[in-house]
Amino acid sequence: MHVDWEKHPRLRELRFTLIKIFRNPTAVLGGILLLAFAATAVLAPVIAPPRYPDSPYRMPRKGYSPIPKPPSETNVFGTTSGQYDIFYGVVWGTRTAFKIGLFVVGFAAAVGIFLGTVAGFYGGLVDELLMRFVDVVFAVPTLVLAMAIVVAFGRGLENVMIALALVVWRNYVRVMRSGVLTLRDQEYVQAARLMGVSDVKIMLRHILPNAIYPVLVIATMDMGSMVITASFMSFVGLGAPKGYADWGQMVALARNYIVGPPEDPLRFWYTIVIPGGCIVLFVLAWNLIGDALRDAFDPRQRRR
Amino acid sequence: MSWDMAVKEREDGGSGAGAGMHPIIEAKDLVANFYTYEGVVKALNGVSLTIPHGITFGLVGESGCGKSVFVRSLMGLVQEPGRIDGGELIFYPDPPTEDAPAQGVDLLKQPESYLRRLRGDRISMIFQEPNAALNPIMTVGEQVAESFLFHRGRGMSEKIAADLDAGGGRTPGPVKAVLRVLYGMSARNPHARVLRFMNRVPVLKRWRWRLLREALDRSAELLGRLGISNPEAVIERYPHNLSGGMKQRIVIAMALACRPVLLIADEATSNLDVTIQAQILDLLKGLKETEISSVLLITHDLGVVAETCDRVGVMYAGNVCEIADVRKLFRNPRHPYTHALLNAVPKMAQEGPLESIEGTVPNLVDPPPGCRFHPRCPNAGVPCREVFPEMREMGVGHWVACYFPVEEN
Amino acid sequence: MGPFILRRLFFLIFVLFGVSVLIFGILMSFSPERRAAAYITTPQQAKDLPRLVQKYGLDDPFYIQYGRWVGEVASGNLGWSLVAAQPVWTAFWMYFPVTLELNLYAAPLIIWFGIWLGTRSAIHRDDWFDHLSRVFAIVGWSLPTFLFALVLLMVFYGYFRIFPPGIIGDETALYIMNHPEAFTRYTGMVTVDGILNGNWRVALDGLRHLVLPVTTQVIVVMALLMRVMRSGMIEELSKDYVITARAKGADDRTVHLRHARKNALIPVVTVAGQLVAFSMEGSIAVEVVFNRQGMGWWLAESATQLDMPVLMGMCLFMGLVFVITNLVIDILYAAIDPRIRLV
Repeated sequence: MHVDWEKHPRLRELRFTLIKIFRNPTAVLGGILLLAFAATAVLAPVIAPPRYPDSPYRMPRKGYSPIPKPPSETNVFGTTSGQYDIFYGVVWGTRTAFKIGLFVVGFAAAVGIFLGTVAGFYGGLVDELLMRFVDVVFAVPTLVLAMAIVVAFGRGLENVMIALALVVWRNYVRVMRSGVLTLRDQEYVQAARLMGVSDVKIMLRHILPNAIYPVLVIATMDMGSMVITASFMSFVGLGAPKGYADWGQMVALARNYIVGPPEDPLRFWYTIVIPGGCIVLFVLAWNLIGDALRDAFDPRQRRR
Repeated sequence: MSWDMAVKEREDGGSGAGAGMHPIIEAKDLVANFYTYEGVVKALNGVSLTIPHGITFGLVGESGCGKSVFVRSLMGLVQEPGRIDGGELIFYPDPPTEDAPAQGVDLLKQPESYLRRLRGDRISMIFQEPNAALNPIMTVGEQVAESFLFHRGRGMSEKIAADLDAGGGRTPGPVKAVLRVLYGMSARNPHARVLRFMNRVPVLKRWRWRLLREALDRSAELLGRLGISNPEAVIERYPHNLSGGMKQRIVIAMALACRPVLLIADEATSNLDVTIQAQILDLLKGLKETEISSVLLITHDLGVVAETCDRVGVMYAGNVCEIADVRKLFRNPRHPYTHALLNAVPKMAQEGPLESIEGTVPNLVDPPPGCRFHPRCPNAGVPCREVFPEMREMGVGHWVACYFPVEEN
Repeated sequence: MGPFILRRLFFLIFVLFGVSVLIFGILMSFSPERRAAAYITTPQQAKDLPRLVQKYGLDDPFYIQYGRWVGEVASGNLGWSLVAAQPVWTAFWMYFPVTLELNLYAAPLIIWFGIWLGTRSAIHRDDWFDHLSRVFAIVGWSLPTFLFALVLLMVFYGYFRIFPPGIIGDETALYIMNHPEAFTRYTGMVTVDGILNGNWRVALDGLRHLVLPVTTQVIVVMALLMRVMRSGMIEELSKDYVITARAKGADDRTVHLRHARKNALIPVVTVAGQLVAFSMEGSIAVEVVFNRQGMGWWLAESATQLDMPVLMGMCLFMGLVFVITNLVIDILYAAIDPRIRLV
């Protein structure tokens, strides 16, 4: 299909936004990092063929010694406590990270956008009740509430993901609703309404495309921060079980080895730094892109 | 009021100001550019303009023609991403006397510290939007008092020191003695290091209390002179508690505090109701008689120009195209743009439909070559498309930048 | 002022009610036997769970159980903490000072540095300092607290051996145990108690153990504040009143600090609630990694050991903090912005 970039104003703006983002060196860095992670996740079976094809997230181990072994020819990144192969864990952990981020953010954003748009557009009692409920959910910090839910549902990575999704949708409702509220009374929306355009069409054609930008920004940022929260829950033992290819869980495995023997206190650095570094770079990638998106969407900064 | 009536009204009393006066501002080939995403906006394209001492000078033009950039460059306040890329801007603070010629300073070559002393003291500015021009979280009094504190710290300190000395027959307490020393220092140099240090320390900065009080008293007195009733109460208020006309008076008060030699009013009345606009213009006119020597009035409203100005400059797309005394300009516009502009405004004696100017204002990123008005100009000829016309004097004090001016009628 | 206080009080009750129903509902998915743990007050009772289910009617419908629970809480009984082996209420006062101490040191540093860095970056936009602090902010924003804490521990405890984990060193703890008459626990905060007792040794030891936790907390939480301050400041600096101030002849310092910064603090106050939430989340990770027995540690430990009454009590506490924070935010708003009045 032929797309005329100059004609359609929304496409023109999109192109401008893309140019703006690609001119930003930090965003390019974030994009490259993210592409690398995505490639690793997609190619995981090729890069690190699973030993247990039925459960590829189970990390292969070479014995049961609790003392980590440094990088060698067979284990490029060494083995962590319990002789789990760090390289394998890091590669498949990328998939885990994407899984967490996409599931949590996808669910939360979908629920938040829907409820926020409807509540903001119609207002009234439904809006009031929903927002009071959001107030209550907001009273407890993400991590604490998610922990309580995981405790109730039982441990495990799936439950961590569900718990996070059940907590963070509140952010999206608020952001979406406030965007819709400002747009609802704009002249062009009023005009559409006077022309007899249906509510659904107004919401989809006129409100959603204009109110979505802040949601996109926080969704991008949340892709990273959800991985942080989930990895912390794995770290304290609420998330992924021992031996699961998850970065947070791998850091937890190495927890007793952060300090090596007195003559060589940093001997086991790789057990923390490699999986930990993956978390940081993954989150950094999303945050760099989110930051660039924020700048690109900000009408005050756009035309500079 | 429509401009033809205003011009007629002033026919008799108008002073013959214009040619032969001493300049207060002399701009030569001023070039200013804005470096934006879309490209370099050539906002001022070699503007040369002389503003005489002691009159009200009007600068007219459509929005975006560069008049605001021009006056901001006078104050050294052109904002990012704008930059002044050339020319001279000579300011004559005092008119020449019999034994000394006027001393001019090129404002573009002065350091920021010089400009800072100049701003608000010798040259002041009134802004378009009184709502935005006032800091929402400071009281009106604090904001007006700042003008005094920035420029009259020495004088006020001298007065307070004298008051302290004269403070009755009682032997002064230790606090008073210390204050006397501090105000003595402040009277010699308000920016002394010790005082600057004390101003930053929470408890010690209370020494300034008398100074602030004095500045507030002067502010209240000034507001009273500007026709604000109950000024002592008004200075305690915040901008959001005041009406639009009131806010504009406050903005004017801030500009007038130090009796500047040049007052710049940048669209000062454009956003006000017509009645309030008239009040503010009357106020400015009155102040012109009593407080300030020269006024530079920026506006797109020809009625305002006709009513208040002595001499007018017309700007189009970053150039000055015509300068003349107000009566000459309105009676006998020579530049095709001025001519068209005057025809586009309804007159009291209007007959037939209004004329409009064909075409649109050029994009200043990629302006037309030669005279920037030529694509819209009915008189345009070959040279207009190639070389920008120099300013030429056609009649006494009537300068026009055009190869094919409109015939004199 | 009257209606304002009344509205706030109503809000407090509403939030506490909502949070408790929410958490109660979530925890109702437990089996009755597990929930019976909430009513255990002595270790012996733990052996007789089925009888407790009977006795406390844990098979009853939700609203009856909830009503009963509210009655218990109202009479001051929050349940028994397995982790602390104490009633939740007593244990709370043991753990609370530890967390409070951490944040008492961290909060002023966060506020001061965050505002200063944000202001400085905005004023000198796009210079090296601005770029550096933006990189710092985005990296700090991307650092998982627990990971950063681990790395700090690895370097400063493992390699340099200067800042150990824990609350006080073993020697100091022994010293306090052996000289009970010379050391009174006034507040439960080691450094404060050390100073109140005039015992510098204890105070300094406590301080030494606080360096890394406070550093972690400051760096991770500050990023948000710095960012909001910077963008707020940039926005204010582009406003017309800033030009007015300059046109009056104001110097940079006056323009930036007296005019723009005070206005830029308004959006900062808006994120104060988020900052408090971050600090609480940060405290959990910091206390877990640095092995400081405070509320965060208690909470994480309770979550792994399914210590339900603690989770319940903690969520109520968070609700309380949330309401108080909002109250403080409103008062700060009114203090900064004359357009806002508390009604």
